[in-house]
Amino acid sequence: MRIFQSWRYPANWSIFRLDDRLLLILTAIIVGVCSGLASVVLNRLLMAMFNWFHPLRHYWWLFVLPAIGAALSSLFLEKIVKEGAGHGVPEVIYSVSRYGGLLRFRSSFSRLISSALTIGSGGSAGPEAPVVISGAAIGSNIAKYFSLNDRQRVTLVGCGAAGAISSIFNAPIAGMVFAIEVIIGEWKSVNIVPIAIASVMGTEVSRILQGNQIPFSHRLFHINHMDILACVGLAVLTAAASILLTRLLRSMDKIAKKVPAPLWIRASIGGCAVGLIGLFLPEVLGKGYHVVQTTIEGAFSQGLAIVGIATLAKIVATALTLGWGGSGGIFAPCLVIGSLAGLTYHHGLVLLWPSASWVNEGCFALLGMAGLISGMLQAPLTGIFLIVEITGGYEVILPLIIVSAITTSLCHYIEPAAYYMKDLVNYGHLLRPGTDARVLSDLNVSELIEKDCIAVSQNMLLRDFIDIVKKSHRNYFPVEDEETDHFMGIIHLDDIRQYLFNPVMYDTVFLGQIMNTKVEVVHPQDDLADVIQRMDANRLFSMPVLVNNKFIGLISKGTLLDQYRKELMVQTSQSI
Amino acid sequence: MKLTINEVAQCLRLPINTVERWIRQGRIPIQKTRNAYLFNEATLKKWAAMYRLPFSMPEKVKSRRYEEKFENLLPAMKRGGVLHDLNGDDVETALKSAVEHMAFLSKTSKKDLYQLLLERERLTSTGIGKGVAIPHPRDPLSDTLENPVISTCFLKKPIDFGALDDRPVFVIFILLSQSTKIHLHLLSRFSFCVRDNSFVKFLKTYPDEASFFTKIADFERQLDREET
Repeated sequence: MRIFQSWRYPANWSIFRLDDRLLLILTAIIVGVCSGLASVVLNRLLMAMFNWFHPLRHYWWLFVLPAIGAALSSLFLEKIVKEGAGHGVPEVIYSVSRYGGLLRFRSSFSRLISSALTIGSGGSAGPEAPVVISGAAIGSNIAKYFSLNDRQRVTLVGCGAAGAISSIFNAPIAGMVFAIEVIIGEWKSVNIVPIAIASVMGTEVSRILQGNQIPFSHRLFHINHMDILACVGLAVLTAAASILLTRLLRSMDKIAKKVPAPLWIRASIGGCAVGLIGLFLPEVLGKGYHVVQTTIEGAFSQGLAIVGIATLAKIVATALTLGWGGSGGIFAPCLVIGSLAGLTYHHGLVLLWPSASWVNEGCFALLGMAGLISGMLQAPLTGIFLIVEITGGYEVILPLIIVSAITTSLCHYIEPAAYYMKDLVNYGHLLRPGTDARVLSDLNVSELIEKDCIAVSQNMLLRDFIDIVKKSHRNYFPVEDEETDHFMGIIHLDDIRQYLFNPVMYDTVFLGQIMNTKVEVVHPQDDLADVIQRMDANRLFSMPVLVNNKFIGLISKGTLLDQYRKELMVQTSQSI
Repeated sequence: MKLTINEVAQCLRLPINTVERWIRQGRIPIQKTRNAYLFNEATLKKWAAMYRLPFSMPEKVKSRRYEEKFENLLPAMKRGGVLHDLNGDDVETALKSAVEHMAFLSKTSKKDLYQLLLERERLTSTGIGKGVAIPHPRDPLSDTLENPVISTCFLKKPIDFGALDDRPVFVIFILLSQSTKIHLHLLSRFSFCVRDNSFVKFLKTYPDEASFFTKIADFERQLDREET
């Protein structure tokens, strides 16, 4: 029985209580392996589905296939696992910033299945975001199993995301950087070490099961100074493409919401539209890695017009798939759009300056991918490292950095919040560690209540009140109803100071006459940021806290500062 | 000694909710298992020092509160004792002989105290009227005293103390305390007694120590009744 119990609650094992960091590293290994496995599973599923449907490619009625897939995936998400559509990365970020990384167990497999249905049937989306949420949910649930605290759980969520990305791209550094830059948002060694280990484990799992191969290999590029200069123009183009994709995704979402039909019908409408586009341009279907491969190799033979249209078509197809309720990520579409945009740019350059000797078109495709990833995620480091790792092209690092940096800043200028964060920022849910919003959201009203106020009744004479003033430490006195104890108003010493020194008034004035009844009040569950805003707006220093219309204490800026400072010190210090 | 989680919150001077939330969020080196909080006091102290948070044991907090606890007149007067037939023709000699009779002071501190009392008298007289004076040093004697002391000295013959109402002073109460707060507390209680004319009349009978203390105890009881 005891042995059983100890297995049930591994938190009590003495080995894990030796050292926090050791514990975190051990659990990071487990999380890395599991999330690596999850991404391998999704990859195999997609491959299997591709093989099933490939022989059917030439039938014209195939355009309904993406519709069926999207509808099935939407039904699965809505009816069976009861989770929202979309790619899930914002949910991970939200849970990290608000709930200490708590995620449901079913999230660890639900998106895998739904995105396999969407993408495998031809929807234009990527498998990366689904594996990110799966990995994150695995990390969160392993943390729960070991009863770790919020901080450690957030780190393990990051580990899960890192392991998943590392495994699916065979790119350990990109996974690490993505987890820290996008998911956690805090560069601290306590996070970095376990995440790095999880990345290694995730990559290792994928290498053992799928072999160590660079997804998009290419031949060597020789880059001239002119090419680096030309990168600036490419950056502008990729920035435009990412803004277009962001806006289109958003507006598709809005249009879809206006359609009076169940979710799965909406998803199938989107899928149908994608299928129709796919009839003419099969490049837009699926995750589209073969398109990336051909563009990088320079084997994409069509001319400028076709490539340009393909770029736009892929953007529209992605927006249709994801905006109308399909399930999947934007990583892979970004790579495809980026490579096509790079190719378009190259063809344009050749058309304008036919005599100049530009570097191979594959190089521009590669740079375009980095631009799109950096622009959509507004995470330049993730873009740079991901492209370097998945193409093995370290020689392009200089133009890569330039494209990433310029695209990120251009996109940031036009769309201040990245695609993943936009909703979170709009609703005030993006709470990065060490910020004012985070400190205020962590503190709550009940931690700030000062309870040593003396309550008085409205029928008390001023003379009796003076004796109470003598004993009190505070300048505020709540007035309560004698029978119901309900709060009626408050007396602030400043307001009645003039009467205090006038003995004539001692026996003639009742407290009910001098109390202030128009008081701003607070409830313990109120959001602290709102409370402070109200204090500032009304120039108040203190506000009474009420529960069920009964006074329970006072909240004041003095105590708030004290607590806020302690909270800030504990949250922002570099150690632990 | 093992601390409870409540005591940890007291040591840090934080609400218990905050400490519990910090534990949940992993900001404080305390671990929560299913049934208990695990922590090491030394680690916790180190942690608090690292974040420059105040951390002191509850006993210390308690003893500090004890210091702040105000004593009544009676114990202070008992410590100071009652002296009859004090010699002295003017303020200086009267104070000198009064200080000389304080057995609880060392020789040097007697000298210091005498100087301090004189300095205070030079600012304004401590004769508060009705023939009563309360000489005291201007600043509290925080290092020489552990408890407040009031020495009651009845003079052999009334002397001119430069009092507010110019009446000659026949009794002096030397008031020594270790903090201004305690000084004011005792002073306010004492002035309550002197305000009552019957008390002054009683003093004029030059009562002996025992009956004087009973009288004071009576007054204090009255005072406490009024306060509550």
